[in-house]
Amino acid sequence: MKDPKSLTETPVTRRTVIASATLIPLAALTLAPTPAAAQAAAPAAASAFSTDQRRILAAFVDRLVPKDESGPSASECGVIEYIDGSLADFMPKEKPALLQGLMALNAYAARTQGSAFADLSAEKKDAVLTAVDTNKATPELKRFFDRVRRLTLEGMFCDPSYGGNKNFAGWDLIRYPGAKMAVGPEDQRMKTPPKPYRQALYKGPAGKNPAGDKHGH
Amino acid sequence: MATNLNPTDVVMIGLGAANGTAVLPLTKAGIKVIALEAGSWMPLSDFRADEVHNNVRRRITTGRKVWSEIPTFRTNPNEAARQGAAPTMMNAVGGTSIHWYANAWRFHPWDFKVRSETLKRYGADAIPKGSTVQDWPLSYDEIEPYYDLIEYEVGVAGKAGNVQGKIDQGGNVFEGPRKREYPMPPLRETEYTDMMKTAAKKAGYHAHRSPSAINSQQRDGRGACVYHGFCDTGGCPVKAKASTAVTTIPKAQQTNNLTIVERAHVTRIQTDNNGKVTGVTYLREGQEFFQPAKVVLLGAYTYENVRLLLLSKSKAYPNGLSNNHGQVGKHYIGHWAGREVSGLFPFDLNLWYGANSQAVVVNDWADDNFDHSGLGFIGGASLTVSHELHPIQGASMPTFGKAPEWGSKWKAFARQNAGRWTSAYAQCNSLPYENTWLDLDPTVKDPLGDPVTRITAGPKENEPRASNYAGKKAEEWFKAAGAVEVINVPNRGGPQLSTHAVGGTRMGDDPAANVANKWGFSHEVPNLGILGGSLLPTHGARNPTLTIQALAWRTADHLIKNWKSIAG
Ligand SMILES: Cc1cc2nc3c(=O)[nH]c(=O)nc-3n(C[C@H](O)[C@H](O)[C@H](O)COP(=O)(O)OP(=O)(O)OC[C@H]3O[C@@H](n4cnc5c(N)ncnc54)[C@H](O)[C@@H]3O)c2cc1C
Ligand code: SF4
Repeated sequence: MKDPKSLTETPVTRRTVIASATLIPLAALTLAPTPAAAQAAAPAAASAFSTDQRRILAAFVDRLVPKDESGPSASECGVIEYIDGSLADFMPKEKPALLQGLMALNAYAARTQGSAFADLSAEKKDAVLTAVDTNKATPELKRFFDRVRRLTLEGMFCDPSYGGNKNFAGWDLIRYPGAKMAVGPEDQRMKTPPKPYRQALYKGPAGKNPAGDKHGH
Repeated sequence: MATNLNPTDVVMIGLGAANGTAVLPLTKAGIKVIALEAGSWMPLSDFRADEVHNNVRRRITTGRKVWSEIPTFRTNPNEAARQGAAPTMMNAVGGTSIHWYANAWRFHPWDFKVRSETLKRYGADAIPKGSTVQDWPLSYDEIEPYYDLIEYEVGVAGKAGNVQGKIDQGGNVFEGPRKREYPMPPLRETEYTDMMKTAAKKAGYHAHRSPSAINSQQRDGRGACVYHGFCDTGGCPVKAKASTAVTTIPKAQQTNNLTIVERAHVTRIQTDNNGKVTGVTYLREGQEFFQPAKVVLLGAYTYENVRLLLLSKSKAYPNGLSNNHGQVGKHYIGHWAGREVSGLFPFDLNLWYGANSQAVVVNDWADDNFDHSGLGFIGGASLTVSHELHPIQGASMPTFGKAPEWGSKWKAFARQNAGRWTSAYAQCNSLPYENTWLDLDPTVKDPLGDPVTRITAGPKENEPRASNYAGKKAEEWFKAAGAVEVINVPNRGGPQLSTHAVGGTRMGDDPAANVANKWGFSHEVPNLGILGGSLLPTHGARNPTLTIQALAWRTADHLIKNWKSIAG
């Protein structure tokens, strides 16, 4: 026979199982509120980014979501922490591509605008990013752009336990009321925004991906 | 060497929606069942109100098996197939019924007779070119008692439109006659569901609330939906959503006739020289076991059903189990379904909370509910608009040509509009074609060294036309509701990996063209039952699982009634 290594060895480490649970009182589901300030991301072991790389990434995501009259910028909302945490936990395989993308972006900025990306003016950064986004640079840079844009959206609007959406700034921006366990008819009305529920349900991100690190997103 | 275990009556491969249903009637009838499930029980505490966890990372699963055998896909038999990025399904006791959306539909009577009804009404030319479509070996009337059983067993909330021929405008007026009203009223009405129902009427359509396998009230020891808005690819923390893990499986356990082996990965189905199956080989925690059984019930979802059959070669079945007629993998259908039409409203819709199946549906443009003469296609699509929008999803909205996709202008646009848009989900009647099948990939392997399933799906004309036609109707619906912008981005690629993957072990009377008979048992292997969407000869314009569960129950009943001849 073949190598008898099971693919399904994930051990049962859980306390309750569905089979043994009966009706759950709602109160048990609404976890004790954690003040927003206490919901830091799980301490990142080591950042995936060097100081320079972090600076380029911040300069990039802050053009995608700039600080302006609508609210804080992507990096102020914790998008870098979100991406860093995702690389550590969920998508370590993507790290080389992301680092390479940052370097390529910098090189492209230097070549077309005469300076490192993070040192350019806002207008010149946008000119670089527009060229990349409209596929005028390279297909690899365009892929990198799309991936970072996607991760920026995730970091802006995720549950704060992932390090992003700091102080619920992302959710406030789009009037997303917040996750809660009991939603009444008054919370499902049109036109009047539901009352924001700004209490974190979780203290940290969920445990390790049972699908394994190997498999990416 | 595999350890030989004590024989049992029935061994099940997988305990998801299909086998998780069949297990109840079987164990109640006193049949001893051992269910080998690749996943394990999921605790309620794993069911987080967390979009990253559920939707971005797809962490609602207990094993890595689905991640390690993602099928490959190609549109042309001359190209190499590429592996999908993420699996569609999950591993757990209860299978994908844990994170499904619980839209619990019956198929339309027309679905069971697409071929003969089309010939009768439109003539032979109307059958799409290259389609291998045939009538089901059973009619709607034959499956109706099982729809009724499953709706009452797991609890479906909805409003009937046709009780024994009596039409009720409050429900789906196009549905086939049902024995009785749904066991529960639909999920909560909202201003939005009212608005969309009124708009449908204005546009001249019939709209109704969609049926959900979700408790709209406490029932059968399970809680009512709290509308928390994490139904989509998430587990239900209050057990309101009917997975088999909280409905049929626990009840089957109470009979003491069910043994569930968690984290058991079945690798082969074994056969004797007479062509009967003798049991299955599986791996668990690094050990190999052989579980002998009188009957094997295969319910591992379409891609794995086909793969396990093709991998299980023997003297009696040199091309794979039950494949002496070369039909395993044929007549595969990836359901043609997607969110194509989006509308932007001048006020907040606030769809954030609620269940995905807290929805409104239009069926006027599905099935054969309208005259297709001169349209160039048969079938059509149901159109659904729902509650439940997650924040990342909301902010990833299309910009309707009104803003760039990043920068301050985008931010201002998203600020105003992330809560003001929605999409209609169009699900098409979908047919099998000669150019579309499943087989084993020649190069991509799972970690055990077994090939993964390969999907070959060539171009089609019928489904895109039907979808396009229905999409225009969705545009009108949104406009009637007051949308200021409507965009329609037709899905021209067709389905690749599908959460509604059906066919591949098609059921039918002719053994030369079908793997299974009308009861779900193999034509070639008398004591092998196949459960799941892989049996379906066509896909309806609605989600498939209630039909899969009704058929599973029927297969179980057939086995109980014919135990001696099948198991003997
Ligand atoms: C996100 C999502 C939403 C959905 N929403 C809806 C909806 O609203 N309405 C609807 O009708 N349908 C919906 N579906 C489809 C529905 O989930 C499936 O139709 C249904 O689960 C199929 O049942 P099944 O038993 O064939 O497969 P599953 O329920 O997936 O069960 C198969 C089981 O077999 C196990 N297994 C696989 N291989 C092996 C092996 N080799 N050894 C041992 N065990 C094995 C798996 O771990 C799994 O538990 C949805 C699907 C998804 C992914
Ligand atoms: S929306 Fe309702 S049915 Fe869905 S997971 Fe939440 S409580 Fe359960």
